[in-house]
Amino acid sequence: MNLLRRLKDLADYVAGCTDTPPPGVSIGVASWAWALWWGALGLFVLVFCGQATKFIYVDF
Amino acid sequence: MIFTTFSYFLFLIPAALLFRATGPWFRPWVLVASGVLFFLYFSVTEFAGWMGAACIAIFIWEALLSRFYTSRSRWCLLGVAVSVGILAVFKYWNFLTGLATAGGANRWAWHGAFLPLGISFFTFEFIHYAVDRYHSRVERGTLGEYLAFIFFFPTLVAGPIKRFQYFVTGLRSPSRDWPLDWNRGITRILVGLVKKFGVADVLSSLTVHLNAADIPHASRPVLLLWLLAYAGKIYFDFSAYSDIAIGSGRLFGFAIPENFDWPYFRTNIADFWRNWHRSLTRWLTDYVFIPLGGSRAGRWRVSANVMTTMLVSGLWHGASLNFLVWGAWHGGLLVIHRWWVTRRGSRPAAPPTALGRFSSWAATFAAVTCGWAFFAMDLPTAALYFRQLIFG
Repeated sequence: MNLLRRLKDLADYVAGCTDTPPPGVSIGVASWAWALWWGALGLFVLVFCGQATKFIYVDF
Repeated sequence: MIFTTFSYFLFLIPAALLFRATGPWFRPWVLVASGVLFFLYFSVTEFAGWMGAACIAIFIWEALLSRFYTSRSRWCLLGVAVSVGILAVFKYWNFLTGLATAGGANRWAWHGAFLPLGISFFTFEFIHYAVDRYHSRVERGTLGEYLAFIFFFPTLVAGPIKRFQYFVTGLRSPSRDWPLDWNRGITRILVGLVKKFGVADVLSSLTVHLNAADIPHASRPVLLLWLLAYAGKIYFDFSAYSDIAIGSGRLFGFAIPENFDWPYFRTNIADFWRNWHRSLTRWLTDYVFIPLGGSRAGRWRVSANVMTTMLVSGLWHGASLNFLVWGAWHGGLLVIHRWWVTRRGSRPAAPPTALGRFSSWAATFAAVTCGWAFFAMDLPTAALYFRQLIFG
């Protein structure tokens, strides 16, 4: 359970949901790692963005 | 598409920069101006055209009426009634008149019916403000602050459903930690876009088969796969939307309420609802469940309150019977869970075993996933789906 909790905390931080990194992670907000991460996410978006559907909850 | 359009981001970033660059007096009006432009642009280009754009009159009316709200005043009650009325006319007119003329032609049908952009969400914020003013739970705020609250464009269309008392605090003293806010905001937006494009839209290729033509030809494993895909799609789609809204708010320096916290990992249905569309769950608890009497009543009355709240939730999700059944399904699950907890309450609590936790998770996930059938399909198609799944 501890491992799952740590993975969840890490995922929340990496996804931008929490402000403070989990114990043992030392990636500050000014780190170059974020630029790489954003680049990877942006690339992923570019690859998949040609087939967008309406958001389900946008006035149904 | 709104959040998945390039124009949204061309609009968002200058608005956020302008908001951060201006002083306290001008700040609300930056949000009002950007919100008005956003509403008009997307209403005209993507929704109901100029008819939809004309619905900006609803906001102006609400802003004017809200100035009369005082503690225990009838203006607040009028505000609630008007908000419910607006929602009823635009969203439920054909559904309700169709029920009234069941079996015959609907003489009162509104053939040009359309939904103003974000009506399901902004009316809930109107109701929250009117009720909380009535009970003196929220300060009046200035006209600019209230207009900024209802026109805040990142949450205007599909939430998360905000509360004025928290929003106005952020408006008066937004976060000044630019590096952290923009780091978290950009990350959140990009993750939201990945969830939408890379997961939810990919799963659409499976969920598109949940229709009366394809279901009779599918085997049981395939039927299960399609419903599981829908469970994934609706989570990734709506949590993506919430991520982008929350991330957008963060660029302004606002903390928007969270909507999701790993709901599919929860081990009972009550916990699921505490972590699925949280801003709606809290709204329904505060403005439907508690006014009905909440938990402070006998077992049967509490069960009726739970069921009524979930029926309202179902009907809010869509103006058709399948959403009502979906609400009843979850109401039933929550009632059963309450009875179960009450029954077990007298026993000494043993620490849960791994098998016990897994069983609880599996039962919760299965129940929620079955419920999505009523959400994804109309009632005859859902009935056909379950018939095919059970009897082959």
